[in-house]
Amino acid sequence: MDPLIMIGAVTLGGVLIGGGVHFIPVGGAPAAIATATGVGTGTAMLAAGGGMTGLITAAALTGSPLWLILAAGAVGSALMLAVTMFVGNWVYVWGVGCVPCSAKVDIDPISKYPQDKYVTPGTEGHGIPTVCFVSGVIGGLLGGMGGGLAYWAVYTALIDKLPGYFPLLQAKLAIPPAAALAGIFALGLFFVNAVIASYNIGGTIEGFHDPKFKRLPRGVFACIVASLVTGLIGVLLLKGVV
Amino acid sequence: MVVDPMIAGLGVVAIMGAAATIAGAAEDLESDVGSMSNPNSQVQLAPQMGNLHRIFNKAVSGEPVQMGTLAGIAGAVFFVLFNTLHLPVIMSIAAGAATAALWHVAFATTSHLGRTTSLAQFNQPLFMDVVVEHLGPIAGHGFIVTFCIVGISYLMTLPIVGFNHPFAVPFLAVLWGITIGAIGSSTGDIHYGGEREYQQYPFGGGIPVAIHGDIVRKAELGARNSMDVVNFCAKYGGPVTGLCFGLIVFLSFWSTVVFGAVGGVAVIALILLLLIYLNNRVEVFARTKYGPYRK
Repeated sequence: MDPLIMIGAVTLGGVLIGGGVHFIPVGGAPAAIATATGVGTGTAMLAAGGGMTGLITAAALTGSPLWLILAAGAVGSALMLAVTMFVGNWVYVWGVGCVPCSAKVDIDPISKYPQDKYVTPGTEGHGIPTVCFVSGVIGGLLGGMGGGLAYWAVYTALIDKLPGYFPLLQAKLAIPPAAALAGIFALGLFFVNAVIASYNIGGTIEGFHDPKFKRLPRGVFACIVASLVTGLIGVLLLKGVV
Repeated sequence: MVVDPMIAGLGVVAIMGAAATIAGAAEDLESDVGSMSNPNSQVQLAPQMGNLHRIFNKAVSGEPVQMGTLAGIAGAVFFVLFNTLHLPVIMSIAAGAATAALWHVAFATTSHLGRTTSLAQFNQPLFMDVVVEHLGPIAGHGFIVTFCIVGISYLMTLPIVGFNHPFAVPFLAVLWGITIGAIGSSTGDIHYGGEREYQQYPFGGGIPVAIHGDIVRKAELGARNSMDVVNFCAKYGGPVTGLCFGLIVFLSFWSTVVFGAVGGVAVIALILLLLIYLNNRVEVFARTKYGPYRK
């Protein structure tokens, strides 16, 4: 693989991850005690959790066409986030006894349900209403696709470098180091861009309807720079493999 | 007798789903008894508000990072014992999980001591009986999690259609460990933070900022500790966390085994649409059942 294509793929993957994180509704510690809308954990942690599932499903199709790897990564990541948000809402509704609602908008842009009067006084909302849920699924799709793209780029670059490796893999004679290395690279890229996005949104965001979402261009720019550097380091590492 | 590959695959998926469900439940209960996740912000805040307590407090890292490390240790020990010493699978997994449990005990002890020391300026005492009594349940729940996670990771690498994953077991264990930590932190821990920590206030609403730090410190008999917390959360928060992780693992592989690679992606896309609809139904249920807080 041309080194420039690999750097480009890693950069685009990082941008997709960083951009996707902006869509995921996370409320951090306040959400964990039903004081803020969103999933009750940290941005980077939730994005990484979703990304890992996407990485596992994308890597399961190693050797398939690129579009299929990207699609598998996207739906795997989105599935993790969707099921987590869905079950999280069970706990908010039946465990804590509150109504999923947003404090950032008066009316849910998708379901058109009124929001403000369902917010517990003294809180910033709670649970995951429809608009946050849809936003989270979109974020999962983008993030998983980005992770899958980075994995594919590094894996393909490594396989090109080691022409005798694939037959060994097929014959079950080798532990797959190329897949593991590409996976670890994608894992690192995920954390780098998730943390950058987390800094950009200041820890919590409700989704694409949140005013903080307007910070997206700045976050994407930071992710481009960080992923470009990561891609350059990746190429330097691969040059030293053989 | 030759077993149809799809039947074998479905059997493995069923075992993985069951193991994931147990792992998810145990993971949430581990974070409840050790006060690992975001609700621990209130355990840390309480002494600063003058509310001294006997809750275990070990959140020095994110829950996903802790579980990823634990599962990675267990997976690495398994990998060595199974592939190099050729021990039986179950024995290797158990030895890996036991080794991780030892690390877990050391981690829990030092992090609790460190956390409590940082609260010394607010007169929060260090109760040695709390340390000793909670270490067993913390390590026990952690053992169940790592045992199941390494088991799932091993099953994923079996040469069966739809599995045969290219990642090595330790790496898969780290990835699943991070995922299960994120899930436990996002689902079951809300039952601990949003309900159990503030049970002295009326049920049916979020926690206003004005009462932050005023956590429940008295139990049915004597002072409340984290054993009481896990006893409560095991009735709802833990099981739904298990169901969540079990569903994710099951659906991820069931779709591929039954419908193939392309069909599996399409089926998961349909499941995503179904989940958006179902989540909306839950929201509507809460709105009609509970009503607004103000007219």
